Amino acid sequence: MVSWPTVPRFLHRELIQIAVLALVAVAAFFVTRAVAANNRGMTLRDAAEWYRRGQQQLAQGRVDEAIASFRRATVKNRGYRVYTLALARALMRKGDAAAATAALLALRETDPEDAEVNLELARLAVARHDRADALRYYHNALYAPWAPEAAEARRRVRVELVKFLLAQNETSRAVSELIALSSDLPDETAAHVEVGRLLLQASDARHAADQFARALRIDPHDADALAGAGEAAFRLGDYQAARSFLRTVPAGRAEIDELREIASLVLSRDPLGNRVAGGERRRRLEADLAHARERLRDCLAPSAPQEAAALQQESEDFAAQLETPAGRDAETIDAGVDLIDRIERAVAIRCSPAPMDRALLIIARRHGSDER
Amino acid sequence: MSAPLPPAQQIRLRENQLFLVVTIVVGVLAGLSAVLFSVAIEQTSHRFFGIAPSPARLLLVPPLVSIATGILLATVFPDVRGSGVPQTEAAYHLAGGVIPSRVPFGKFVTGVLCIGSGHSMGREGPSVQIGAGLASTIGRWLRLPPRRVRDLVPVGAAGALAAAFNTPVAAVLFALEEIIGDMNASLIGSTVVASVAAVIVERSILGNEPLFHVPTYHLVHPAELLAYAVLGVLGGVVSLIFCKGLLALRAAFQKLPKRTKVFQPAFGGVIIGLTLVYVPAVMGVGYEYVDQALNGGLVLQTMALLAVVKLGATIVSYSSGNAGGIFAPSLYIGAMAGGVVGTVVHRVAPFPTGDPGAYALVGMGTLFAGIIRAPMTSVFMIFEITQDYQILVPLMVANLLSFVISKRFQPTPVYHALLHQDHIHLPSPGAQAPAGKTARHVMHADVRFIPPEISVGAAWEIARAHDAPAYLVGTQARLAGTITRNRLAEAAEHGDPAAPVTSLLERVAAHAHPDHPLDVVFERFAESGGVLPIVSRTEATRVEGVVTLDAIMRFVDRRATGTTAGSVAGRPAS
Repeated sequence: MVSWPTVPRFLHRELIQIAVLALVAVAAFFVTRAVAANNRGMTLRDAAEWYRRGQQQLAQGRVDEAIASFRRATVKNRGYRVYTLALARALMRKGDAAAATAALLALRETDPEDAEVNLELARLAVARHDRADALRYYHNALYAPWAPEAAEARRRVRVELVKFLLAQNETSRAVSELIALSSDLPDETAAHVEVGRLLLQASDARHAADQFARALRIDPHDADALAGAGEAAFRLGDYQAARSFLRTVPAGRAEIDELREIASLVLSRDPLGNRVAGGERRRRLEADLAHARERLRDCLAPSAPQEAAALQQESEDFAAQLETPAGRDAETIDAGVDLIDRIERAVAIRCSPAPMDRALLIIARRHGSDER
Repeated sequence: MSAPLPPAQQIRLRENQLFLVVTIVVGVLAGLSAVLFSVAIEQTSHRFFGIAPSPARLLLVPPLVSIATGILLATVFPDVRGSGVPQTEAAYHLAGGVIPSRVPFGKFVTGVLCIGSGHSMGREGPSVQIGAGLASTIGRWLRLPPRRVRDLVPVGAAGALAAAFNTPVAAVLFALEEIIGDMNASLIGSTVVASVAAVIVERSILGNEPLFHVPTYHLVHPAELLAYAVLGVLGGVVSLIFCKGLLALRAAFQKLPKRTKVFQPAFGGVIIGLTLVYVPAVMGVGYEYVDQALNGGLVLQTMALLAVVKLGATIVSYSSGNAGGIFAPSLYIGAMAGGVVGTVVHRVAPFPTGDPGAYALVGMGTLFAGIIRAPMTSVFMIFEITQDYQILVPLMVANLLSFVISKRFQPTPVYHALLHQDHIHLPSPGAQAPAGKTARHVMHADVRFIPPEISVGAAWEIARAHDAPAYLVGTQARLAGTITRNRLAEAAEHGDPAAPVTSLLERVAAHAHPDHPLDVVFERFAESGGVLPIVSRTEATRVEGVVTLDAIMRFVDRRATGTTAGSVAGRPAS
């Protein structure tokens, strides 16, 4: 049997006292926690108030004051992305890209997949012409987890990325992004039109035509969709369709009016067009040649007299040839189109081409004048 | 099967186990007190000032609240002025760890009012005193042995500091380096336990957030170390200005009549109120602005202004007798000074440099090392606050320089110097020789004084009756000074014998304390002119004995013949 040593009395008393102390500590813990929670609430309310003030100051153009207010909000509610983002945007507005980047990077440390933070960082990278960083942050933003209701915001990010790529002349990457984007579009005319326009900028007229067609299925009378479809058809060489679409677009948009005119001229002035009778072919060729000779005289002769004289002589010889029975031959017509193409090219170098000039160049290209 | 421990060892083992439990409880309570203190300051400040205070509030709140705290500090809680760290050290070294129970309560109330009303002071020093006071109170309530009560003081201090800064390692180092004054102290285990317990409690309430959020900084270019060295030198100079200014202004306040003591905090409040109207950013603890400096949110001019104004405001708040610490102000001033250096370096350096925020971070540690003079604590504190390893090397370079400069031109650390102003002298680690012979063994306890109110002629008559090379003037309770026999003779025979003897007094430059070892006593005796007063550590003007050449010879005699010290006690010394 183990016999306990004689223990001083204070040790027994201490046990009870320690139990009391422990109870006091537990009670103090809960009291302190409650007080701290209350204090936290107060601090968060202060932060919200500073944020509100910052927004007001920003709206009034007092950017420096807004930055100070946002800073106080971020200190009082650290890590709350809304305040830090507001601070970063205010700093960007002030032109303090370094401070804005620092604020965003600090936020990104806590959540590297935050789409908005990555997007703002991408914009800052664009501003400082840092292509690699811009692409990295745009992609981080795109592939961040997005809430289902934020699909539109995500599309806007991709559109922004496409515009950046187009500005960098990276058309193939832009087209890839646009194709990805087109699979995710809502049934809204404007969305399809926007993507179609970007595809046209990226020189992908075929996919652009698809987007405009989808837009027109939703709203057949949408002017922007009709214009886009007409332009896409034009670029695809379908002048019939282009003219058809463009005719329905209300007049008043200069570039559309010009396209429409060119499309009409291509269809009406092409000597090699399908189902055109022989006489008509010759008549069209004579009219086209007359226009070309006029441009030769008015535009080319003053600036390049020798070249103009040579082409003038050649056109006179060809005009004479047209008067002969051989003038109806297909080879003569081909040779005529070829001559007109060479004149128009020489003219286009020195003078801005009129719709007719552009139409004649298109006619020549359409029938493979380069190969000839 | 091992044999049972002897009863004495079992009791000791059980006592150790109980002490461990008490340590944990003390750690928890100290941590809770630090959290509550911090929260109470924020709430009070919010109540007094709101979110964007008007100039009238800024002007009036500090003096009006200081009237109330002045009354409390002068009448109810006279021992809670200032930081609390020096008082805690004094309690540990000189009072056996006894801190009256009213101290933690009084410190809490007055600290909350002073800092919450805008005084430029920190909350960590008071937290240390509150934690230590709670620990001491608990120890005495538990009727622990005196040495255990004493041991609990640094334990409570470490717990409170750990929770106040969320820096458990730095808190342990601070308790060892500053409170105990011995990095090899046997209490390291207890302080670690209390520190960990306090931090667990603090994090469970406030979350595991570092005190400041700092981007990751690193040394961008090796040449940057030169810039950090410049910052270290500047930090040392600023630390000196702070310490000298604080001590000088506090001494000036102490020279004012005693009846003004109750109004002195309010006088400080008036100055602070006026300051806050123009520079509200120096209000209270000010960590919000430190955070901004660390994150590059302040421009050069603002940081320079804040560094200067905060320095002045803290000196005024502290010197006028308000309750609050100098930890936070030193970090604040350091961050601003560092930010200034960083911005300038960033603009003019021919090599790539880090952001000004990195310099602000190092500046914090630099000022802490220069003012508080706890170099290890400063390095670990900055590391723990920021949780950033990258900055350690520049931090150590700058801290070392600041520490060396501060120590060279202000040999007495500021906490000790503050205690000296209150006539309290802490033992330095080297001065303690518990096992050897001390001044107590050689001094004469029966001291004869020349009364300070008599004339030179009367003093000379006393001197002629008692041959000695020098004499003490004053009373046992209050030593006025010393005077040499030659000077007294010269004045009596060739000067004005009717002049008061105090006109001949020499400042008591050399003195020793009863626990000083003999080598220190002999060294100081050589500087003393023939009579070395032995004064109390807790009241440096109270004479406990005197060492003369005669006393030393008698001590040597005794050692040679083997007689005891008591056999010659009672001989008049001078």
